[in-house]
Amino acid sequence: MDPLLLGALVAAVTIMVLFSGVSVALGLLIVSGGFLIAFDGMRSLELMPEILFGKLDNFALLSIPMFIIMGAAIASTRAGADLYEALERWLTRVPGGLVVSNLGACALFSAMSGSSPATCAAIGKMGIPEMRKRGYPDAVAAGSIAAGGTLGILIPPSVTMIVYGIATETSIGRLFLAGVIPGMMLVGLFMAWSLYSTWRSGNASVLSAGSYTWRERFEILPRVLPFLLIILGVLYAMYGGIATPSETAAVGALLCLVIAVVIYKLWNPADLWVVLRDSTKESVMILFIIAAAGVFSYMLSSLFITQSIAEWIGTLDVNRWVLMGAINLFLLVAGFFLPPVAVILMAAPILLPIITTAGFDPIWFAVVLTINMEIGLISPPVGLNLYVINGIAPDISLRTILVGSLPYVACMVLAIVLLCLFPGLATWLPDAVMGPGR
Amino acid sequence: MAVQSSAAVAPTGNNPFLRLVAAISTVAGWCSAGMIVAAVVITCQMIFIRFVLNGSTVWQTEAVVYLVIAATLIGLPYVQRLRGHVNVDLIPLALPKRARFALCVLTLSVSILIVGVMLYYGYDYWHFAWERGWRSDTVWGVRLWIPYLSIPVGFGLLLLQLVADLFAVLKGIDTPFGLEDA
Repeated sequence: MDPLLLGALVAAVTIMVLFSGVSVALGLLIVSGGFLIAFDGMRSLELMPEILFGKLDNFALLSIPMFIIMGAAIASTRAGADLYEALERWLTRVPGGLVVSNLGACALFSAMSGSSPATCAAIGKMGIPEMRKRGYPDAVAAGSIAAGGTLGILIPPSVTMIVYGIATETSIGRLFLAGVIPGMMLVGLFMAWSLYSTWRSGNASVLSAGSYTWRERFEILPRVLPFLLIILGVLYAMYGGIATPSETAAVGALLCLVIAVVIYKLWNPADLWVVLRDSTKESVMILFIIAAAGVFSYMLSSLFITQSIAEWIGTLDVNRWVLMGAINLFLLVAGFFLPPVAVILMAAPILLPIITTAGFDPIWFAVVLTINMEIGLISPPVGLNLYVINGIAPDISLRTILVGSLPYVACMVLAIVLLCLFPGLATWLPDAVMGPGR
Repeated sequence: MAVQSSAAVAPTGNNPFLRLVAAISTVAGWCSAGMIVAAVVITCQMIFIRFVLNGSTVWQTEAVVYLVIAATLIGLPYVQRLRGHVNVDLIPLALPKRARFALCVLTLSVSILIVGVMLYYGYDYWHFAWERGWRSDTVWGVRLWIPYLSIPVGFGLLLLQLVADLFAVLKGIDTPFGLEDA
């Protein structure tokens, strides 16, 4: 069979299997096993456990459970509420300070916790009622939190970026840095839209509100600083060349657990077990998908599918931006249905040779891909954030949340366009800190 | 939608077989969490030795990698029990009750089959390493059958949990895909 035709068949079967309700990792193993038997014979199955084990045999993977523990420890505390309060107290003088501090809290908390639904829940629980009380439109209150929660997969430390780094063998340190400026740009775009749409709704008066004494401002700081210092410390250790991402993540995980226990008094063993259980659950889930995707990409290359697709695209002779547009569209649609980690792991081995042949920078592409995945997080049918917000603010209809999120999706698309026009937004910082290279 | 709720656990309906499997999977989960914590502690110890005591480390990096692999594989049944392996249930949601039941039995059966394949060849691989006394080509030179053991153990336990899940659906103790009746 022609490898390209076979590739199309694999794609169709994979989609069918993954939509059937089977877990993503097992689905990938099933598809790989099936095609290996059909086209390479029974004996090819022998290698599957070895490839699966080999895929996990990588020190860089350690950073995934470590960052997840770090995030789970932070998410289990009142840190989200504290962060929100601190920003609000410090930003009241800024016009629209409330929505600005909400988005800021979302960006910081989602970066620390690495979990988009946890951010929506932690910040939204405080932020949404407060914004509505002060007269912000429902759509802005819900939409800004839904969008703000997605920032965590772009702003370091990001598990999504680690997975991309492992799948494509690019430097995780560079990837983290590449996400910083686009992340801040997205926060800025989100803030701009929130302020504009609040102003347009005729409630401009709500944009200036409340005031706090300096005493109130300072007394909240000790509660938020420890976690922020850990995150900064982790990033410093990585870029100061002191330790690898995995090593710093392990120290960060231990420190976050200690802080959660000491400062936030998480000393009930049952509560501590919940943190460990949830981190184990998420780590095992992601690592199993990584392992299964390793078997999947082995199947693709042993049937010559990966190579043929790259060759075929090479012969197409389309404009590289048309190619990039098509890839973005594909990723966007995939992101509507599948979790980011699964999309990255399945698409990266096929897309990377195409991307680099067309002259795109894989670090830059990671950022574009991640923003695509962020869009998936706030779009139906999977958009988990929408349902989380619906859960914490049941009297805002899902429709309003959805409509409220759409402008933020537009902001993300705009960010992708800006990244295409000015690739330096993603590549300048890694080059400046770690030296031009690759 | 991709389901990843934290509250859902496979119901056992007081059935002794399901309760036994649930207990085994839970113990596997504790082991998995314990290994991840051990990896955290060992990594921190390694950093302490290297950067504070300026010493050199021999076994830590490798041990940590194998611990994370073992945590992943041995954690599989527990995460299956917690319904923690993300899935996309677009087709099941669109199906009527009977077809959904049939699809669930089919997907579970095929899952059991592929996990059985992994168990069979995983055991083979482990047995090879054990019989021939393979060692890793590092200074530590760990006997490789020890980390490889996690493959047959992990997939064996996952197989057991999947069989229990299939049994629960067939017996009507659990709903297909854990979805509420449409």
